[in-house]
Amino acid sequence: MIRNIAAEAMLTLVVIAVVVGAVLVPLALTQPDPLGVVSTFLLGPFKSPRHIGNIVELATPAMFCGLGVALILRAGMFNLGAEGSFFLGGLATVAAALWLPLPGPMLAPAALLVGAVVGSSVCVVPGVLRARYGASELVSSLMLNFAALFIGLYVLNVLLRDPTAGAMVSYKIPAEAKLPRLIEGTRIHLGTVMAVLACGLGALYLFRTAGGFESRIVGANPSFAAHLGLDADRIGLRAQIIGGLLAALGGGIEMLGLYQRFSWQALPGNGWTGVTVAILARDHPGLIVPAALFLGWLQVGGDLVARNFDVPNEAVGLIQALLLVAVTAAALTRNPRLLKAFGARRSGDAA
Amino acid sequence: MSDRPLIRFDSISKTYPNGTVALSDVGFSIGAGTIHAICGENGAGKSTLMKILSGLEAPSAGSVAIDGVPARLDSPRAAAVLGIGMVHQHFSLIGSLTVAENIMLGQEPRRGPFIDRAKARARVLELASRYNLEVDPDARLSALSVAAQQKVEILKALSRETRILILDEPTAVLSPPESEELFRRLIALRGQGLTILFISHKLKEVRALAQYVTTLRAGRVSGDASMAEITDDEIARLVMGEAATSDIAPPAPAEAAPLIVVRGLSLAGNDANDRLEAIDLEIRPGEILGVAGVDGSGQRGLVKVLTGARRADSGTVLWDGEAIGVADTGALRRRGMAHLPADRFREGGARHMTLTENAVAGMHRAFRLGPFLKMDAMADRTRGIIERFSVRCPGPFAPLGALSGGNAQRIIAAREFGTRPRFLVADQPTRGIDVAAANFIQDQIVALARSGCAVLLLSADLDELLRLSTRVAVLYAGRIVASLPNGPELTPARLGPYMLGLETAA
Repeated sequence: MIRNIAAEAMLTLVVIAVVVGAVLVPLALTQPDPLGVVSTFLLGPFKSPRHIGNIVELATPAMFCGLGVALILRAGMFNLGAEGSFFLGGLATVAAALWLPLPGPMLAPAALLVGAVVGSSVCVVPGVLRARYGASELVSSLMLNFAALFIGLYVLNVLLRDPTAGAMVSYKIPAEAKLPRLIEGTRIHLGTVMAVLACGLGALYLFRTAGGFESRIVGANPSFAAHLGLDADRIGLRAQIIGGLLAALGGGIEMLGLYQRFSWQALPGNGWTGVTVAILARDHPGLIVPAALFLGWLQVGGDLVARNFDVPNEAVGLIQALLLVAVTAAALTRNPRLLKAFGARRSGDAA
Repeated sequence: MSDRPLIRFDSISKTYPNGTVALSDVGFSIGAGTIHAICGENGAGKSTLMKILSGLEAPSAGSVAIDGVPARLDSPRAAAVLGIGMVHQHFSLIGSLTVAENIMLGQEPRRGPFIDRAKARARVLELASRYNLEVDPDARLSALSVAAQQKVEILKALSRETRILILDEPTAVLSPPESEELFRRLIALRGQGLTILFISHKLKEVRALAQYVTTLRAGRVSGDASMAEITDDEIARLVMGEAATSDIAPPAPAEAAPLIVVRGLSLAGNDANDRLEAIDLEIRPGEILGVAGVDGSGQRGLVKVLTGARRADSGTVLWDGEAIGVADTGALRRRGMAHLPADRFREGGARHMTLTENAVAGMHRAFRLGPFLKMDAMADRTRGIIERFSVRCPGPFAPLGALSGGNAQRIIAAREFGTRPRFLVADQPTRGIDVAAANFIQDQIVALARSGCAVLLLSADLDELLRLSTRVAVLYAGRIVASLPNGPELTPARLGPYMLGLETAA
């Protein structure tokens, strides 16, 4: 078991190295300082506390969304509402922080709760439609993401917009609702601790509770679940509720941790990142944290290269995209022969 | 042996990378133009040996000689070139293609860049008439019965100038009359000079068909003889070791009021196997009601309704006189229903989950401590099951998919029987599993009935039905055409006419 996981991790690392070598190196060679490009991309993110902080900041929402998506995928549901949940969760959290007449220490928890519940609707509504009418949760969640965006923008424009600000942004988030910063010189905030904690709790839920077990049965073999008499509709919906709450909580925490005002004019993309993180982590809550940090590192390294060299942003994006494709390609990382080469045992039947 | 050996296995060994020894030092030969049976329990190495012969796996040591020449069997294509064709237990056919397309798949005759359909069709018809296996080349495969699909699979295996035909438990999916039909065809094929390797658990079939038998036990050849020189008991001993075959007496007819009463149950469906028409049944606590019938006579529909997977279109199912309304498997299970499904890996368990997870699934809520599951208690229960049900496995955390069919079925049976059911639906409980596991599970079903459980037993194996059942009902085209008390006078021959719809005696 452990041996196989280690083999899979090793293989993933080798795939990363090959892709970086194959794409980054030719790109670097077009520059006057090729070594500088490579080292900035790979090591730059670790060279200053501020950049390390950037990795962690980027990883925090990715953890929430990744965990939410992983729990949904584990139950066999293809709900992609995490994006809209994250967006709407952020907006509703800000709205609650502005409107709720609560004393200081109560404000952030109450606002996050409101944000999570409101934001989760983008995952829950497709879940209900699926459970009740058999509608494809994939299609309805994808569409609902945009409904959430435009409802959100309407609410922002009509109810939350600060007329004294130059752009379409909300009033300032009250200072007492903000999450405390943890490390001097970075913007790492309490939300990161909550994200790591959430991943731990997610693993406990999935592997140590009856609800998580039922989720995994439905995801692994729906016919088996039906044979056992498990209510697959209810279990699938439960996973989508939990997933939506987590993604929306991530949006709220992002707002209260890093932002002055709600200023998203489009879907921020963190929910899509969450899907990538979940796939990268093989839907395992324990692997969400390293997967999210890996993506953060990729992002920061790319930004540094784009900022310091004459390499277009698009080229950096290309490297990141190729890396993701390679790492998530099951054909590569699940290939039995490659895995065997890294010491995995085959768990085939020996009849 | 008298015939010229066509195939010679020379000290074949196969060790899998995980250390499992599937075959060690297997050597025997097969004469040209004979039907040669290979018998052994699940996990004895039969399938591995056939995979080596058909080029799907390479041996770790040893060699195969065909016609005295060492053969390079490094791919199924290489095996096909040598004239080896395999009929798999699970057909390698595609449901959405026609019969002709399936048979010609991968060797389509071409005209320029296009497939020459007329020629493909002609070739299929020519094959069919040469081997006297009539098929409709234009029928869509999914529209055919299992027996007809098997004919297609056999034709496909014969389509490449085949000299050696391997059949892996071909009768597991057939009803008795269909099996006899198959045997006649196989004997005719032998008459045309084909060499046939026949893998089976069923000694009767081996007796009816084969001239020679090789038995395997735990990866070694335990016996190799001409059928004329060996008795069934001797073969059974060679296959099973010294373990005796169990003698099971069916439970006596029960006096109690029926637990399950089915009245006028009807179900519509596209598939004949789902259709039911005005079924009446009664099952008392402590009795086993056997359901006989040709495959596809409505067994699946009956199981679906009684296990709560589907709601009947009309009619009632009563439990203790109380009508069951909606189809709800969970509610039936809470009443005490247990179900041993026919397809053990599709419905019975999850391949990628551990034995422990498969063994406690459904009763997992009993293992809760606060919000958490008691992992140790669950693993302990599984260890107990592994011991009591003699499951051969690496341990309680191995994935179910790593077990052989018989051992997986033991785990599933342990889970279902462990709920102390009041009503058990056992659907093909021993299909395709080894004799030891089959006997064990049959014993368990009888023991369960003796303890007061009402059992509905559906089986394509008439011997099993007649050995276990208190009464036997015969299902034909969705109707119960006979309901007979079991006894010495009830024989497969007496059931046959009912199963084929020639007689009714409701």
